[in-house]
Parts: sequence; structure tokens; C-alpha cells
Amino acid sequence: MAHDAHAHADGDHGHHIIPMPVLLKTFGGLIFLTILTVLTATQLDLGAFNVPLALAIACGKATLVIMFFMGLKYDNRVNTLTLVLGILFVLIFISFTLFDTAFRGDIGNVDTIPQEDRTRMEETLQQRDPGRAGLATSPADSLALEQNPLEETPAPAEEPAPETTEPEAAH
Amino acid sequence: MATVMHTDAPAEAAAHHHPEHHHPEHHYLNHEKTIWSWLSTVDHKRIGIMYAISVAIFFLIAGVLALLVRMELLGPGETIMGPDAYNQVFTLHAVMMVFLFIIPAVPGFLGNFALPIQIGAKDVAFPRLNLASWYIFMAGAALAVIAIGVGQVDTGWTFYTPYSSDGSNSVFFVTLAVFVAGFASIFTGINFIVTIHKMRAPGMTWNRLPLFVWALYATSIVQVLATPVIGITMVLLFLEKFLGIGIFDPALGGDPILFQHFFWFYSHPAVYIMILPAFGIISELVTVFSRQNIQGYTFIALSSVAIAFLGFLVWGHHMFVSGQSAVSSIIFSLITYLIGIPTGIKVLNWVSTMYKGSVWLQTPMLYALSFLFLFTIGGLTGVMVGVLAVDVHLHDTYFIVAHFHYVMMGGTVIALLGGFHYWWPKITGKMYNETLGKIAAILIFIGFNITFFTQFVLGSRGMPRRYYDYLPEFTALHQISTVGSWILALGLFMVLFYMIHSMFRGKKAPANPWGAATLEWTHCTSPPDPHNFHHTPIVTHGPYDYHALEHLYEGDGVGDGATVEAAPGQKH
Amino acid sequence: MASTTTTAAPAVEHGHGDGHAHHPRFQHHFVSMEQQFDSAKLGMWLFLITEILLFSGMFVAYTVYRVWHPEVFEVASEALNPFLGGLNTVVLLASSLTVALSIHFVQKDQIQKMNWMLLLTVLCAAIFMVVKYFEYTAKFEHGLYAGEAFHPHAGYEQFNIPYARQFFSIYFVMTGIHGVHVLIGMGMFTWLYTRGLRGHFSSEWYTPVELSGLYWHIVDLIWIFLFPLMYLI
Ligand code: HEM
Ligand SMILES: [Cu+2]
Repeated sequence: MAHDAHAHADGDHGHHIIPMPVLLKTFGGLIFLTILTVLTATQLDLGAFNVPLALAIACGKATLVIMFFMGLKYDNRVNTLTLVLGILFVLIFISFTLFDTAFRGDIGNVDTIPQEDRTRMEETLQQRDPGRAGLATSPADSLALEQNPLEETPAPAEEPAPETTEPEAAH
Repeated sequence: MATVMHTDAPAEAAAHHHPEHHHPEHHYLNHEKTIWSWLSTVDHKRIGIMYAISVAIFFLIAGVLALLVRMELLGPGETIMGPDAYNQVFTLHAVMMVFLFIIPAVPGFLGNFALPIQIGAKDVAFPRLNLASWYIFMAGAALAVIAIGVGQVDTGWTFYTPYSSDGSNSVFFVTLAVFVAGFASIFTGINFIVTIHKMRAPGMTWNRLPLFVWALYATSIVQVLATPVIGITMVLLFLEKFLGIGIFDPALGGDPILFQHFFWFYSHPAVYIMILPAFGIISELVTVFSRQNIQGYTFIALSSVAIAFLGFLVWGHHMFVSGQSAVSSIIFSLITYLIGIPTGIKVLNWVSTMYKGSVWLQTPMLYALSFLFLFTIGGLTGVMVGVLAVDVHLHDTYFIVAHFHYVMMGGTVIALLGGFHYWWPKITGKMYNETLGKIAAILIFIGFNITFFTQFVLGSRGMPRRYYDYLPEFTALHQISTVGSWILALGLFMVLFYMIHSMFRGKKAPANPWGAATLEWTHCTSPPDPHNFHHTPIVTHGPYDYHALEHLYEGDGVGDGATVEAAPGQKH
Repeated sequence: MASTTTTAAPAVEHGHGDGHAHHPRFQHHFVSMEQQFDSAKLGMWLFLITEILLFSGMFVAYTVYRVWHPEVFEVASEALNPFLGGLNTVVLLASSLTVALSIHFVQKDQIQKMNWMLLLTVLCAAIFMVVKYFEYTAKFEHGLYAGEAFHPHAGYEQFNIPYARQFFSIYFVMTGIHGVHVLIGMGMFTWLYTRGLRGHFSSEWYTPVELSGLYWHIVDLIWIFLFPLMYLI
């Protein structure tokens, strides 16, 4: 028979019954990891590692759910393949988008806003924003510009800013 | 054998019927006759026909819109409509062609009809889901029609923000239409993948799958993985418009380029949803009409899968001048070149299949040859515009318009027409008029090239796309292109008319007029039984094993499904 | 169903060694119950990855804006109540357990217990939605909305900073779409419960329970990621 039924872990009859203790232990593990992630996030400050740690714990929880609650550990391999494929393409989506957004503005000469305006804009924005560095290059700056009209700052009457055409240092 | 093929073998009507066969004319088309029996059918063959009729109607409407676009461009300035009307007409043309015609056409029609039979199954894995997919598709189409009624949709088929999020409210209905139609596509994809994995007949191993099935398999993977993203994109666009969530709209602090990422993450893979099934059809046509086993079966099969995967890594080549980072432009450009490799592998294998084969120039084969010619031009110009420096100049010109029409129309639609003629005798049990078929195929080929080759020239000289007006120096080329569109339309209408004629007056088709070796020809009557096969076939040879075919069925291999149940190895 | 009228099903097909071939739920275009079950499950897994990719779009938006404005996101996430978020996490995890148990019980033909588990699942889902309701209204009271209505006030002025709107938009859209999935799940499990009461399921055939369970776990999985991303970091 060509269909994949025979690849099934336990042959033709019945489906694998995941034992009660396994299910309960999985649940215990999940609760433990939930407490762990809350504690590490609120009590510990690991700086740059906060996010990776939280994500790592979430991945651990996800693995438990997938393996034991969803029973993928005992299931047809093609179902695992399906899931892996899905996750792979989510990662591609995120990482390839980041290739753009994380490096946005890496070509200096596509900026249509004169350097002079840009510098002023940044100054105005930085006065109001806790996330200083983050604001530097997003196209949304134009909005902030509208909300804080440049008129507030005395318009630079005469000569333009020094010709620093160096590309925006991205975040 | 080859000589037999060159005589008008199709004329040989089905003479013998299986004794067990309750009624000589009992088949899937006539075993139930009411309208309701069609609207509630779960038979994959009937659902395929329902898809065929609906996409044909959308093709007709969108095609008339295209003729209007060309008519407007007959001369500079306003010819038959002003700029606003023009923007709406080309948008509707593109939205309908893409979402309501070309994406569902091959899987929904030929895929639904042929795939289960080709793998020896009684139906797809989820017949009711299959019917649901058609209804959902029609609901999406209805929403698109409402959108036309409600107001102007003039964003282009790409719905770029902020124009789409600031503009007319009818964008709401279009985005909803795309969202809903997406589910139809996902359901078809899920159904096909499961069917191919789980429903194959005994002996139908993975390396005996017809290449059309392999192509649909790759297509389905793309449908399942990419379509949800257009769904969420449309939801976010909708929320942007009505709540102002500020993700895509620069006026609210959003990033319009992010919208383009979302859109193309779906829409580049979607071009492979369009072309991969076409590759599958061409693989069938080339081998059947060359009477030669396909060259490089494994290469063709796996290159479909490779294209499906690579297709997800190149979406940024639509955004080279959008302001995305240079790093990503370079990465996307480099990966775009790679797509040429699996695509080239296919073309070379098709050509070498014909080499030293006995090529039988029936209408389907004419379309296959057209395809090889046109798709190669379309694909190569695709690689051209994948080159960063070149695309900076050609982006948003008629060169792009020509490129994608060479792949979509010259590739997918031509292959669809080829497959349509090829499977027509099986679907309807009637032969079409071969002479008219050939004339139409040639007209379409000529008309197509006149229409679109000129657009390569126009684009390279700087004619931008999506304008109702142009500089006087482009007049001559635009006029040639418009005349070409009339020839193209003439060819297409010819097909419509002789096919309708064939449906009522056509000669009766034998079970296997082309001497093909896949199951729908060897083990099925024309048209097939409601359950496809009288007995589940046991597959003992590959899909293009013409020698085995002669050996099994004797004579010229032009069999009649009703008489071949005694295939070796099959008990009954 | 066209395929159920098969008359001449050859002996080969039923010789597959599957005693369940004549279960009333058997669809005749399949060869065996086993094949039917496996197909349904593969179909469901494929559907699940479409769900994952649907949410992926929102995760991408989250990532992009977080990378652009990490400080804003850290500040804005303080508006969310990690206790309620944590509570909801536990509730959803518990409902995942009850779903897994309901499948465990139906496989052992303990239908009564399965019904209880299905009911508990519905209950957990309801608790989740109630908690979400209080969370949402607490935000709305202070002007924390998705989109243009966003204007924090009444003690929440500190969130009136550029790009906080993006955080709250993403928060409401993601949890909102997640919530819709929870509601759909509630409907599904209520329906399963009524069918369970009517004795529709047994160890021979429980495909709807199995598939709804898979769906429910995916809803749980999405939340497992939403919780730390939105509430904690
Ligand atoms: C050989 C592989 C192909 C390559 C390398 C390729 C490359 C490209 C590139 C780089 C563009 C962007 C040009 C620009 O906007 O400046 C483009 C546009 C386009 N391509 Fe292709 N392409 C290929 C095959 C196809 C196929 C098979 C289809 C459809 C069946 C297709 C449909 C389109 C469409 C619709 C557009 C224009 C989208 C728009 O802006 O409206 N392409 N192609
Ligand atoms: Cu592309």
C-alpha cells in the first residue's frame, strides 16, 4: 500500500495512548517554566539577555506542548515535517524582513530629507522621546515632525548645516 | 507505433464496453442531472468543472477590461476614458486576473479533475472541504463584485499603503475578497497535499507520480505556507484604514515599506502558485506528444519543490527602489539569480525529451511549444530585472509589464490552454475540431507576441506603467500592441466557440485519444465513471512508460478505458 | 456523498486487515479507518501551520517595531498586568491538559471522563476570556486603544510617547485575533461536549476530538509566546 499509514508508530491497530503520568508531568513542567519566566523577567536583569532567555523558555514550553500534548513524539513523521516547515518559513519571514528594517537607510544618498532638517528633527524628537536612538531613521519621523512643528525651534536663518552627508548610523 | 499516432487516431470511437457496465452512457456528467446535484456535489470532477466555468467567466470579464486598457492606449491623451476610470479598469483587470482567475485556474480546474485520477484515488481526501473551497471562492468573487459597485478601487493589484489606507472605502471589500478567496486556495492546497500523501493507489510510489501531480504538490506547499500571510496583511490593512493602527501608514508613525514586505512575502510565492502547475501540464504534454519517456523525471519533479522553496527567499526583488536597505536588496538579488537554475533544468529537460522523439503536432503540443518559447523569454527577462542595477531603470516601466505577461499569459495561460485541450476529451467525452484548434493556437501565439513584445521595447525606452497617457514618441509601439490584443482576443474567442460547439456536436472521444500512459487515460472511460475506476488500479509501471503501454494493451497503445480492466497484476 | 455509493469495491481494498472498515463514520473513498484518521490529522496539521503563518505576520510587525524602538516597548509593556497575563497563561495551560486528557480518556473508552474534560476545557476558555475582558476594559478606561483613539490619560500619561501607539496596536491586534481563536475553540468544545453526551465518540472513532485538541494546543502555543513578549520583556 503506498499510503503512509504503515509508517505509523504502532502499526495498524489503535493509536498511541499517551499515559496519564506523562501528561501530568508535562503540565507540571509547563507550570514550572511559566513561574521561571516570570521570575527571571521580574527579578533578574540580564541586560541584552533578557529577551533571548524569555524566548528560550517559551520555546521550551512550546516543545513540551508539541511533543506530549499534541503527541508529535508518537506520531507520523510527516506531521513533524509539516510543523518544522511552517516554523522554518516563519523564521525566514522574520529574518529576511529584518535584513531590511534593521539596516534601513544604509545607503546614505537615498535620503530625500536635507541633512539640515534631519538634524533639527532629531533634536526635537529626542527632547520628547525616551527611546532616543530608536527614532533616528524610521520613516515615521515625518509624523513626529508634524507634531512638533519646526517653528518651535528658531529657524536657522542663514547658512545650511555643515555638509555631513555621512550615512545615518543605523541603530 | 508512431505512424499510427499520426493518423487521426481520435476518430476511433470507443467500440467495446465492459459487460459489467450497467449502462453504456453512464458517467459522472449524466448520472445525476439536476442543478442541485451540481451545487451539492462532492465529486472532484464536477467541482473541477464548476471551478472551470467560474474562472472562465472571470477570465472573460478581466479580458474585456484588458481590451479596454489597450483601447485607451491606442493614442496619447484621453482616448476612451479619463485617468480615474483608467486607474480603476487596470486595477480591476489585475485583481480579477490574479486572484479570481490565474491562481485558482489550474489547481481548481485541471488539478481537481485530474489529480485524484492520476494517482488512482476515488476522490480527494476531503471531498466536502473541496466543495467548500469552491463556495468560499465564489463568496470572495461576490465581495469583489460588491467592491466594484461600492466605489472606486484604483490602487493597483498591489494595494500599496498609504494610498490604499487613505483612499476609497471600497478597498475594504477588495481586501476582504482577497482574504476570503485566500481560504479557498488554502483548502485546495491542504486537500491536494493530503491526497497525494495518503490516497495513492497500490503501486503508485512517489517516483511513479505523474509530473503534473508533483507540480501540484509543490504548488500546494506554497499555497499553504504563503496564503495565510496575505490574509493577515489584508486584515492589518483593513485595521490600518478603519482604526489607524499605525503599522503601515507613515502619517501615523508606520512603515509603508513593511507593507510591501508583507504583500510580497505572499505575492512572489504566489507567482509560483501560478506557474508551477503550468510546468506540470507542460511536462505531461511534452512527453505524451513526443512519444518519449520524460528526460530527467527526478530533476523535473524535485526542481518544482526547489522552486517552491527558493520562491520564498526572493520577495524583496520587487522592492529594489522602495527604500529598503541596500543589504537586503543585494541578498534578494543574489537569491533571485538562483531561481534560474531549477527553472533552466526544467526547460532543458523538456527540450531534450523532444529531441529524437516523434513529435506529434496536435493542438496541445502547439501550446507546449508556445510555452517553451514564451516562458523562456519571460523567465530570462525576470532574471534581467532581478539584477539590481538594471532594475533601478526598468522598475515600474512597461518592461516589467511585458515580463510578467510573458510568464503569466505566455506561461500559465498558454499551458492552461494546452492542458484544457489535452484533457478536454476526457472531461467531456468529445473531440474538438483539430484544425480550428491549430489555427487558434497560432493566432494566440502571434497576437500575444505582437501585444507584449512591443512592451519590452516601450519599457526599455522609458514608458512607465499604470498611466493612461504617454508621450507622442511611444504612439506607434502602443498602437501595434493594441492591434496585437485584438488578434489575441480573436484567437481566444475562437477557442471558446469551437469548444462550445464540440460540447454539443463534437465527435465521440475514445478513452485514450493521445496514447498517454497515465491512469486517467489508461484506466478510465471518457468521460470517467462517477467513481473514476471500476476497480482500483494496481500500478505496475511509470507514468510515461510507453513501451509498457504497448506491451500491456497491445497495438498502438491507443486504448479504451472500458476494455482494459484486465491489466496484468490486477485481480477481479 | 458520491463516493459512498461505491458498488464494485474490490476485495483488495477491504482485505487491508482493518476490522473497522465498516464503522458508520467510514467514508468509502478511503481504504481503511486508519487511512481516514491519518489523512484528517495531516490535513489538520497543515491547517495549523497556516494558523502559525497567519500569526507570523503580527510577530514580524512586533519584531520590526521592537528592534526600532526597544525602549518604547519596554516602557509600554509596563502598562500590562503581568499577574493577569500569568493567570491566563496558567488557565490556558490547564485547558491544554484537560484537552489532552479528554483524548486520553476517549482512547480508553472512558466517555464520561472525556465529557468532563471537554466541559472543563470550555470553562477554562471562558475564564480566559473573562480575564481578557477585564484587562481590556482597564486599558480602555485610560485611553489605551489600538489606533487613532489612542490617548493615554488618568494616570497613564507616561505612555503618551511616540511609537507607544504601535505597541498597543500590536498588543490589541495580536491578543484580539488570539481571543477570536479562543472563542472559536470554546464553540468547538461546547459542540464536542454535546456530541460526547450523545455518545458519538468512542475509541473507534474520535477524530473531531483529536483535531479540535490539536487546534486548541496551537492556540495555547501562540499564547506561550505572546505572554513573555507582551507582558514581561
Ligand atoms: C524565472 C524566474 C523569475 C524571475 C527571476 C523574476 C523576477 C522578477 C523581478 C525581479 C520582478 C520585479 C521587477 C520590478 O518590479 O522592477 C518581477 C516582477 C513580476 N514578476 Fe517575475 N520573475 C520570474 C518569474 C515570474 C513568474 C513565473 C511570474 C508569474 C507567473 C512572474 C510574475 C511577475 C509579476 C506579476 C511581476 C510584477 C509585479 C508588479 O509589480 O505588479 N514572474 N519578476
Ligand atoms: Cu517576484
